[in-house]
Amino acid sequence: MSETRPEAFEAEAPAAAPRALRRRAGGWLVLGLGLAMLVTIVLVTTLAPLLAPFDPSATSMNSLDGPSARHWLGTDLIGRDVLSRLLWGGRTTLLITLVAVAIALAAGLVLGLLSGYLGGWVDQVVMRVLDVVFAFPVFLLAIAVVAALGPTVPNLIMTIAIVYTPAMARVVRGPVLSVKRWDHVEAARSVGMSEVRIVTRHVLPMVASPIVVETSLTLAQTIFTVTALSFLGLGPPPPDPNWGGMLAEARQFMELAPLTVLGPAAAIVFATLTFILIANGLREVLDVGSRR
Amino acid sequence: MATARTPRSGSPILRLVAVRLVWTAAILLGVSVVAFVLMRALPGDFAIAAAGAQFVQAEVLEAIRREFGLDQPVWVQYLRWLGEALQGDLGRSFVTRRPVTSEIGPRFVVTAQLTLIAALMALAIGGTTGLLSARLRGQTDWVVRLVNGLSLAVPNFVVATLIVLMAGLYFPFLNLFNYTPFLADPLANIGSLLLPALCLALAVSVTVSENTRAAVLEVSSQDFVMVARAKGLRPRRVLGSYLLRNALTPVITVTGLQVASLLGGSILIETIFAIPGMGQYLFDSITSRDYPVIQAIVLLAAAVVVFVNLLVDIAYARADARVRYE
Repeated sequence: MSETRPEAFEAEAPAAAPRALRRRAGGWLVLGLGLAMLVTIVLVTTLAPLLAPFDPSATSMNSLDGPSARHWLGTDLIGRDVLSRLLWGGRTTLLITLVAVAIALAAGLVLGLLSGYLGGWVDQVVMRVLDVVFAFPVFLLAIAVVAALGPTVPNLIMTIAIVYTPAMARVVRGPVLSVKRWDHVEAARSVGMSEVRIVTRHVLPMVASPIVVETSLTLAQTIFTVTALSFLGLGPPPPDPNWGGMLAEARQFMELAPLTVLGPAAAIVFATLTFILIANGLREVLDVGSRR
Repeated sequence: MATARTPRSGSPILRLVAVRLVWTAAILLGVSVVAFVLMRALPGDFAIAAAGAQFVQAEVLEAIRREFGLDQPVWVQYLRWLGEALQGDLGRSFVTRRPVTSEIGPRFVVTAQLTLIAALMALAIGGTTGLLSARLRGQTDWVVRLVNGLSLAVPNFVVATLIVLMAGLYFPFLNLFNYTPFLADPLANIGSLLLPALCLALAVSVTVSENTRAAVLEVSSQDFVMVARAKGLRPRRVLGSYLLRNALTPVITVTGLQVASLLGGSILIETIFAIPGMGQYLFDSITSRDYPVIQAIVLLAAAVVVFVNLLVDIAYARADARVRYE
């Protein structure tokens, strides 16, 4: 191109290329920041048993202490170390989030691929059922299911997986609908490739980008849902600390010990921001949904 | 469904409405099945839950089973429950023993009010920032997108808690928990809802802002806008009659679709600000395991979402000639 029409290349390139490049570089920067934050959270929470200075459920006489050399973030109402509880609480919150989203992703992939690739009555049935689940406000449905089943870690994981599967399935189905009509899929079929192989080798890779972005956005929303459920008292059962529950507990006496509120609040914001940054970075880098 | 019967005659918009109404009814039916199953999927004996105590005499349990028709097949139970629900009877609260419908009614109005104010706020904030971001570009664009990204990362219940904390620390004379009924003092009522509505509106305003920005950018690059500029129309007129008019449709659609997230968020916000709406009632019902109330609220919220989606669909078809009526 540059050899045949050098003057055109020179005229267009300076205007267009730097902006696209700069955007992509910005995307990598945001993605890198998000991933660094993710590594930090994962490291800090998995190493909680080593890092936490105190037993998260050990009470003491120092109720609602301010920050000190002994208790960096002070203590809560019954004298438990806030920092240790934050570290341990992150484990539960993150575990539920990651496992639930992984299940929702798997279920969404299966349903979306089946629905989009096979089409016909399969598509109709799957989409109509998902429409019904979609009609419920996500958070309300989560509350109803957890309230009915009882708030345990497996129930929370299952509930959140159920609640986010429809959105995931839709994100998978949309692009599959168009990709399955592309020539390379037809070509693969004409050389006698099995349908399963076509889907996994020739359809899935083409639709991976929007799914990856949606997954990281879902992770951010799930942090919200998990912590909000715990905030309402529908989190993991009491002796184990969790961020939403800590925030709710601290609310009553927060004017006496602001750090008991600020700690979990900062943790929730940090975790949500992590996944939002990753999602936005991925969106720019993978060029999903051409945004200007 | 007179319009659906005669597909060739009648205006296309009426046909669209008819088709969507049938579809909405089908979804609502599905929603009712889910709500019913949720209720009956309770671990343990439903009759014991209804009795509200762990140890109940056998005769009492028997009476409850007969009252709820638990001795009959599940589908009979469902049809009976559905029939009653259609007549506005959603059962009785386990706790107060009063009909759920009459308990929810006034609270629903409060939540509707809170949600409406929040939606308007989100539209105002998001619309303004999105428009500024798309028109001015450069630094403004950058700042708006950064602030949007950051406010998306702060969940509404965290914002609300932090606001309450700050008010308590620095403005102790402010009383945030001063909910006033509308009939007692309309102005004070709206005033007391402003701060809670703002907490609720923040996240939604980000969605509105992003969509406004995208829509305005999209429309700005269209030929008819260029023609309007080329023939020397004043920038203000181009903005008002050409840009905004066309960019607004998708934005209003998006705001309508956010009703679900507003309703979900209102549970948290009402609990934090002590507003006696549906959300706070739901919270209390979870604590007291008042399942008929939980079921009714979830059912009602889903119905509202389905209806708002229907309205948005119709409004969108009405505003955009490109929508095909199928």
